[in-house]
Amino acid sequence: MSAETARHDAKTLRHQQPRFRGLEAGHRACQGCGEALAARLVTEAAGPDVMVANATGCLEVFTTPWPQSAWRLPWIHSVFGNAAAVAAGMEAALKQQGRRTRVLAFAGDGGTFDIGFQALSGMMERGHDVLFVCFDNEAYMNTGVQRSGSTPHAAMTNTSPPGTARMGKRHMKKDILAILAAHRIPYAATASVAYPSDLRKKVRRAMDTGGPVFLQVHSPCPLGWGHDSDLTVQVARLAVQTGLFPLVEMERGELIGTLPIREVRPVTDYLRLQQRFRHLFAGDFRAEKELEHLQAIADRNIERFELRGGGKERYDTEGADTVHRGGDRWA
Amino acid sequence: MTQIPPGAFAQPGTSLEFKTGSWRVQRPVHRHRAAPCHAACPAGEDAQAYLARVEVGDLQGAWETLVSANPLPAITGRVCPHPCETACNRGQYDEAIGIHAVERYLGDEALRREWPYPVPAPGSDAPRVAVVGAGPAGLAAAYHLLRGGCRVTLVEALAAAGGTVRTAIPRYRLPLDTLEAETARLLALPGLDFRPHTQLGRDVSLEELRSEHAALFLAPGRRKGQEWNADFAIPGDLHTGLHLLETWVAEGTLPDHPGAVAIVGGGNTAVDLSRVLRRQGVPSVHLITHQRIPAPGVPAEDVMRANPREVAQAVEEGVTIHEHRGVRRLILRGERVVGMELVHMKKLPDADGRLQRVAFEGTETVLHVDHVIPAIGQEVDPAGFEALVERGRIPVDPWWGRVQGQTHLFAGGDARGDHGSVSEAVGDGRRAALGILAVLAGESLEPPTPPEPVPFSDLNLHYFEPAPAAREPVLPPQERRGLEEVEGGLDLHGVRHEAHRCLSCGECLACDNCWTLCPDQAVLKTRERAADGSHYVFDYDYCKGCGICARECPTGYIRMES
Ligand SMILES: Cc1cc2nc3c(=O)[nH]c(=O)nc-3n(C[C@H](O)[C@H](O)[C@H](O)COP(=O)(O)OP(=O)(O)OC[C@H]3O[C@@H](n4cnc5c(N)ncnc54)[C@H](O)[C@@H]3O)c2cc1C
Ligand SMILES: Cc1ncc(C[n+]2csc(CCOP(=O)(O)OP(=O)(O)O)c2C)c(N)n1
Ligand code: SF4
Ligand code: SF4
Ligand code: SF4
Ligand SMILES: [Mg+2]
Repeated sequence: MSAETARHDAKTLRHQQPRFRGLEAGHRACQGCGEALAARLVTEAAGPDVMVANATGCLEVFTTPWPQSAWRLPWIHSVFGNAAAVAAGMEAALKQQGRRTRVLAFAGDGGTFDIGFQALSGMMERGHDVLFVCFDNEAYMNTGVQRSGSTPHAAMTNTSPPGTARMGKRHMKKDILAILAAHRIPYAATASVAYPSDLRKKVRRAMDTGGPVFLQVHSPCPLGWGHDSDLTVQVARLAVQTGLFPLVEMERGELIGTLPIREVRPVTDYLRLQQRFRHLFAGDFRAEKELEHLQAIADRNIERFELRGGGKERYDTEGADTVHRGGDRWA
Repeated sequence: MTQIPPGAFAQPGTSLEFKTGSWRVQRPVHRHRAAPCHAACPAGEDAQAYLARVEVGDLQGAWETLVSANPLPAITGRVCPHPCETACNRGQYDEAIGIHAVERYLGDEALRREWPYPVPAPGSDAPRVAVVGAGPAGLAAAYHLLRGGCRVTLVEALAAAGGTVRTAIPRYRLPLDTLEAETARLLALPGLDFRPHTQLGRDVSLEELRSEHAALFLAPGRRKGQEWNADFAIPGDLHTGLHLLETWVAEGTLPDHPGAVAIVGGGNTAVDLSRVLRRQGVPSVHLITHQRIPAPGVPAEDVMRANPREVAQAVEEGVTIHEHRGVRRLILRGERVVGMELVHMKKLPDADGRLQRVAFEGTETVLHVDHVIPAIGQEVDPAGFEALVERGRIPVDPWWGRVQGQTHLFAGGDARGDHGSVSEAVGDGRRAALGILAVLAGESLEPPTPPEPVPFSDLNLHYFEPAPAAREPVLPPQERRGLEEVEGGLDLHGVRHEAHRCLSCGECLACDNCWTLCPDQAVLKTRERAADGSHYVFDYDYCKGCGICARECPTGYIRMES
């Protein structure tokens, strides 16, 4: 062993990591879980002086198999629908105690778009200093992949199976960001696990802004979306590059920033990797029509947010995650 | 204070008690693999490794990495046709890394700053090895033998070291200063006994060398011009191309060639001579070759043997190249050449599938020239070691260069007869030195399995940005008159730009991707280097084997293995 190299005892090394570990190893998420990655990245950027209220869902279940917990920060499980209400109470109590600890609310898309929505809207309306993070995996995953208000049009779930009457989910993905923006909160943004430095920047920006702030993180679910576990980041990236999941920031309801797409990819590049869209590649006219429909949705997103980039930029879908020797990309 | 019942809470981070590593089917491992540039370098240089040193600003470390394979970087950086760049993965992305320019820069810096070669002084009981021929092959062998702890007697027929590089490569491609400085530094290494003016077969015999040395390496090059055995009449005063070129390189002058000259051949000698004649003011210089000008899509066996960029520069300088053409006969008036009859030719497969040259009847043309110079190749001058030479070459084992039927006698470089470039000669010298060291240590010689280079498809290109290559200044054709170097090399800025563009194929560049993208905190970062040379350690207690790290590693350094 030379002086420069060393064999490392992982146990010791784990406790010397040059970053805050909000979410520890040993959690029970599936292999390649995008939600676990997203929660790890969010807590790293927001912590360490934070508390979390977590709605029911995969994140809650896989991190806290009693008597263990994967969290290294104060964390409470609310119920499915009330993470925002619990977080609001925590924030009020901390304020009362004169403490500076900040509050995060975590929920899946079900706990945000659907059952958690009224508590969320109320918390936003009352102006609590809480960052609400929606881990958007586009279905009710923890109960075995049922459609939610976030499930994209034409995706297959157990409650939106493709068949003779329809091609997967009939309805559209709810535009939750626009709804949140309509609360005229100081900051609301989308992020993706495929763009970690962008995600971290947005978490910090939200924390710095304060007040009720909202972040929707696109988090592929290999199990529910039906892709190989190693493709999580690739799938997430394609969602952004196709325009199906635009990365945008809004302040007080106004669009203030987007991640431009340098090379717009056809939606089929994204869809093809996922079993939940398998029926769209059957080759029949209904499938063709749905593919065109999804392409039109992506086109409309690109048009609406003016996502098409104008050449090579440092901050665009190709430049934002460029690597450098020594890792200064993540600094 | 209210007591929380134990069933309602858990201690932080206690999930570590549960080893999710047991779920794993495949595990990620760090696997260094040879970069294509490394696998393609005939001298055995690992460009990826020294580009990485350059990128972090460690120029001397980069040079040391470089000269652990090739002691002549200032020379090869200028004259090598750089197959590394042809193989470079970045060429499939935008433009290949300008490896030769980095190599050249490091070589020049070492000369300027006198960085010492990493060679120890030999011990008193060091074995003695003789090397015959101080061309690139002999110099490289001597250097690697010294590195391996031997003493070396370097026997050279001429007055100075350098071989064909000194005698035939024109100075506008390789300045004399550079050649002298780099060879002089090698000759001054401790343990080296350089004997100029000593020709094997004239001044010393093979048996004498054998009796005084533990092993021998022969690198006499191919110095004897081949006879132009044409089945037509040729004038008596014909000079070979190599002879003329060597005269010009040594003396700076040539016999007058007014009017038009035709050079027959498509190798380095033909092309260099054509350019020299243009510099001498010959208005019309023709090159007649069976092959074709190097260009994308031209099959390798049909391409002129000269370095592609030299061919291109010759054309820029006004040389006319007649491709796929053969000489039918010379048109003579008495002894005087007044023209030549050319015919279109091509290599086509015969009944047995072997490629044969075919001349096409009815395609004859006449070219009016006043002189014709054959530059059709050289062979080994066997004087002094006749028994080892077969049909103008010394047959050897292709990897180590051990002469057939011998145990302690090795040969390499041009004398092998199956290749002809400086970097190939350097590689031969290096491998033969390693072979000799192994034999002296009583080991047997097994050919190693050549490394599988990292294919382009194993890189994740999403993490790189397109960037144009740095351009070397090149003397405009109208200014290429004298000995001034045509290619200007890159400055430090350009060199670092190229190093920064390198994709680090097959080697960790410490980008943090794996550390950042693991959903399970199973990639841990180290402050120093980890045992495998990266800065990261997989914690297999928790790694579930999802494969994200391997998929997102930009350089193909992480592999999933069962
Ligand atoms: C005109 C020309 C241009 C070229 N351009 C390039 C180029 O751009 N790039 C490139 O890579 N390659 C080029 N080459 C090829 C390159 O020069 C050779 O491949 C290389 O020099 C071979 O090295 P070597 O050590 O095997 O032989 P050499 O360089 O030929 O050296 C052999 C040495 O052995 C000595 N010697 C021979 N016989 C004896 C003896 N009996 N006793 C003692 N000493 C002896 C010779 O004097 C000579 O010094 C060129 C060749 C020519 C002719
Ligand atoms: C009131 C209530 N209804 C239903 C459930 C069952 N349930 C638990 S998790 C879940 C779905 C969670 O979906 P989502 O919020 O998208 O999170 P995910 O698991 O996908 O991360 C459901 C329906 C519940 N726990 N409480
Ligand atoms: S089901 Fe999906 S979201 Fe839930 S743990 Fe598995 S991969 Fe993650
Ligand atoms: S990109 Fe770098 S490591 Fe890869 S082949 Fe080119 S020079 Fe070598
Ligand atoms: S992802 Fe980056 S840091 Fe990790 S092994 Fe590959 S090159 Fe090294
Ligand atoms: Mg969900």
